[in-house]
Amino acid sequence: MSSYFNQIQQQRSTFLTALKPGDFLELPVLEFADTPDNQSTQQQTVAKILRYGAPVGAAIEHHPRLDRCMTRLQHLMAEAEERGETLAGGTVVLADTLSGSSGRFDRAWYAPPGGIWLAMAWPDTLLPEFTQLLPFAAGLACCRTIRQYRLDCCLKWVNDLLVNGKKIGGILCRTVLSRAGEQYHLIGIGLNVNNQNFPDSLQAAATSMAGELKGSLELTEVIGRLLAELSRAMGLLCYDEELSLRRQQGCEQGRVSLLFTDWQNHCDTVGRLVEYGFDVQEKPLYRARATGFAPCGGLVMELADGSEITETGGEIRYVNSC
Amino acid sequence: MSSQQEIHFDKIISRYRSDPYDYVDMCAIHTGKVRFLVEENSEVDGVSGEWKHLPGTPLYEINRERNPKIVTSQTNGTVSTIHHELDDNFVEAGEKLLTIRHPLKKKEIIESILQDVLYIFEAPERARYFFAMDIQSRIDQKGVRSVFIKPGDEIITMSLMKRDTPVYYTGEPGIIHSVYFKPGDSVDMGVPLIGVCAEDKLPVVQKVITRVKAEWE
Repeated sequence: MSSYFNQIQQQRSTFLTALKPGDFLELPVLEFADTPDNQSTQQQTVAKILRYGAPVGAAIEHHPRLDRCMTRLQHLMAEAEERGETLAGGTVVLADTLSGSSGRFDRAWYAPPGGIWLAMAWPDTLLPEFTQLLPFAAGLACCRTIRQYRLDCCLKWVNDLLVNGKKIGGILCRTVLSRAGEQYHLIGIGLNVNNQNFPDSLQAAATSMAGELKGSLELTEVIGRLLAELSRAMGLLCYDEELSLRRQQGCEQGRVSLLFTDWQNHCDTVGRLVEYGFDVQEKPLYRARATGFAPCGGLVMELADGSEITETGGEIRYVNSC
Repeated sequence: MSSQQEIHFDKIISRYRSDPYDYVDMCAIHTGKVRFLVEENSEVDGVSGEWKHLPGTPLYEINRERNPKIVTSQTNGTVSTIHHELDDNFVEAGEKLLTIRHPLKKKEIIESILQDVLYIFEAPERARYFFAMDIQSRIDQKGVRSVFIKPGDEIITMSLMKRDTPVYYTGEPGIIHSVYFKPGDSVDMGVPLIGVCAEDKLPVVQKVITRVKAEWE
């Protein structure tokens, strides 16, 4: 197990080290660094972002089989508190297979060997405006990881991961209180990597990286890339918060965050005809055309009567493939 | 003193009979220069539309650092007072700008009276809310007024941008008597989610409802 752990840590370090200013420069340059022409300033900014994100995966626990990774994280929180400590932020629990996994609204989630099944704990240290971007950060990290394998992955608002219209992964974000009353945000990620067989009910809607690439992948490498991308995304979110505080301007005042800008570059929702619902599978509420995003992450849509509506919760599904 | 003795029905009902309105104060949402868009005695509408997406009547514009924002009415009624001296002036966040007199319906009067009796559990932030799985299944099986909750119970899930946060009950133990939201509704911070009734107060609550229904037309 320790050699598996070492492999993952090595891969994570390799991909973190490989991140460079170019990986950030698609973001608005003036927002990115105060003096964009100064290369060393850009490098310092990247270094700062990566320092903010460094806790991600600094502690990893791996299990061949678990009920749920989030449940294990909650046990780790309790164990740390019994020792008079707190669980280190960025702690990751990984499992080869899950026996009791589920999605939102207790939807079935199939987690056989071959996929990546992990959960990460992040203490409640961010301002609410940035906490609400955590699901976007997780989606962005997964999407960028999948794209590193030249797969055309797109995000559907908020963080559904689609390749060729099929779901290739899932993200579950929950905020929990530890027994001692500390609040943590738990980010659960499931990626279909080498697991290519799905139950009949999911065959038409699900895909995997190996299925799309017609060949299996080195799982530790994908995990390493994913943890490096999660570090980048969490670092970007924290840096965003720093900039927002420094400039005394939040999303309510129209400031668009770096992370959210980056997320938008990976999202293909705008322009689509969508069906919206709080639980869209069970109870779709209405159809609308997605027209854009509000600065704080809400989805702006136009209803059939031409009126505009902005949603900050719930979910959508695409009505057409346009 | 028993719970029943604590409720002075005649006094409460005569108060609502003499003035069947709610007075909604509209305060500055943040600092800025304010400009009123309504007059005193103007009729205003609240939010409407099937999805409550159509904004109400514009009440005032507030401008901070060349970022003007129109604030609209959340409720219907008549503008009863306006602080004209603030028009075209800089105001602080939370400063009272105008008051809307909202005519109460019978159902609103009942709820208003009940809020003196029930323990009101409010939305901790602006988000979408739904009952925790266990509570929802108990509601589905037995009906809402048969569900007993106590402090520490996970009763509701708050959902914002697909991040779910369990909400734990912190009030007095009792039966969920009133539910002020539909699962999946977007609810503003501080708005009541549920009203909880101690079991010994249930007869009083029923008496309030019966009395108002009988006397109010």
